[in-house]
Amino acid sequence: MLVSAAQASEAELTRLKSVIDGAIDAIYADPAASSSQKQAQVRSVIEKEYDLNVIIRRAIGRNWNLMSGAEQEEVLKLVKQLVVKAYVEGMNGKSRPGVSFGEIVTISDKRMEIPCAIRMDEQTINVLYRLGRMRTGWQIYDIVAEDISVVSNYRDQIDDHFRRGSGAELIEKLRELLTKEDLNEEITL
Amino acid sequence: MKKLHFNNGCGALLAVLFLSATAWAHAEEFLSEEDLYGDDLSRSVVVDDPLQPINRVTFQFNDFVLLNLVQPLADGYQAVTPDPVEKGASNFFDNLRYPVRLAGNLLQGRAKGAWVETGRFAINSTVGVLGVFTPADEMEGFAPIPAEDIGQALGSWGVSEGPYLVLPFMGPSNLRDLVGMVGDRVVNPLDQPVSVIDDWNWEWQVALGVTEFTVNSPSIVERYLRLKGSAIDPYSSLRNGYTQFRRGAIAE
Repeated sequence: MLVSAAQASEAELTRLKSVIDGAIDAIYADPAASSSQKQAQVRSVIEKEYDLNVIIRRAIGRNWNLMSGAEQEEVLKLVKQLVVKAYVEGMNGKSRPGVSFGEIVTISDKRMEIPCAIRMDEQTINVLYRLGRMRTGWQIYDIVAEDISVVSNYRDQIDDHFRRGSGAELIEKLRELLTKEDLNEEITL
Repeated sequence: MKKLHFNNGCGALLAVLFLSATAWAHAEEFLSEEDLYGDDLSRSVVVDDPLQPINRVTFQFNDFVLLNLVQPLADGYQAVTPDPVEKGASNFFDNLRYPVRLAGNLLQGRAKGAWVETGRFAINSTVGVLGVFTPADEMEGFAPIPAEDIGQALGSWGVSEGPYLVLPFMGPSNLRDLVGMVGDRVVNPLDQPVSVIDDWNWEWQVALGVTEFTVNSPSIVERYLRLKGSAIDPYSSLRNGYTQFRRGAIAE
């Protein structure tokens, strides 16, 4: 079991590296490409290897059952777009980052963590990829950047939303965020 | 005949048991839906936020200030300042916060951290021309370490966070970190109430404070806009992000 876990770890490290390199290439290879083109390419690179629905379903948690089937599908689609959009636009205007990987931490035969350091514009961001073994293979179920879990952060926001709002309102909010070109709009409560 | 029935029934039962056991064993190899999508997050973040209605209004006020005052300031500063000067100014103010980092390390009994911070301050203040450059980064044993402060020290002593707070102009905090922030000012010799500069009048204080704020403004704005761009509810996102970050820093 230990041998297979070690082999799986090495294979997953190689897979993750290729996805991260591919996503960075998609952003930096063609400086003339528009943000939406880059977003589409990044999504394609990631989704060839990983199921983004896993991480988003985890962020939605039990709120999933508060939505209809159609709402669930739509929320998955929109959150995916929002996360990729934020990732691509966050890199905008920055120099190509360098990524170095640390030693894989095997939590159990079903969970592992792959740490990496992303060096960008003289800043180093420590990121931890959490992977779980699912029927569909190893999937990323959380990303922790500088001690901040992406899943926990979205879960908090989505929990807060469902205390006051519905699935339809969440969809409306997500669509509004995605069409917003300018982040400098003030917040309305 | 009866015996045959018994054998058939027994065989069926065994087959069912075998298949169930195989399915169970197979399922055990993978994470279940409940493991992944249930309520049990490995690092659950519960934040005490009894002042949420007031905090949300303050958050909205800070959002207005950031977008209408701080962002133009940051844009203007970046437009007129060459990148190396920007970096040098940021290093300079970072170096001046050494007493806070030292106190944070000492109060947590981190002798090694205090030694590294002191070494970095000595090297960067001299070889690095008053901290404008950071030659210590390249010296063995003096690479940058995570910054400690008094709020973190209080956290490491077991002082609880208290209610989550959004401070006007300052952003997210909690009662413990607010007390820590007052402590940070006390141990920093350039801040009031204790100052090492004899003729430290208010004009100098304001000038230093405004300059430091201007130098830090691009990174403040950038971090805020990044958070806001990916947030469904920026208030909840910042509250969660701040709390996770501080808890992580205290746990390290």
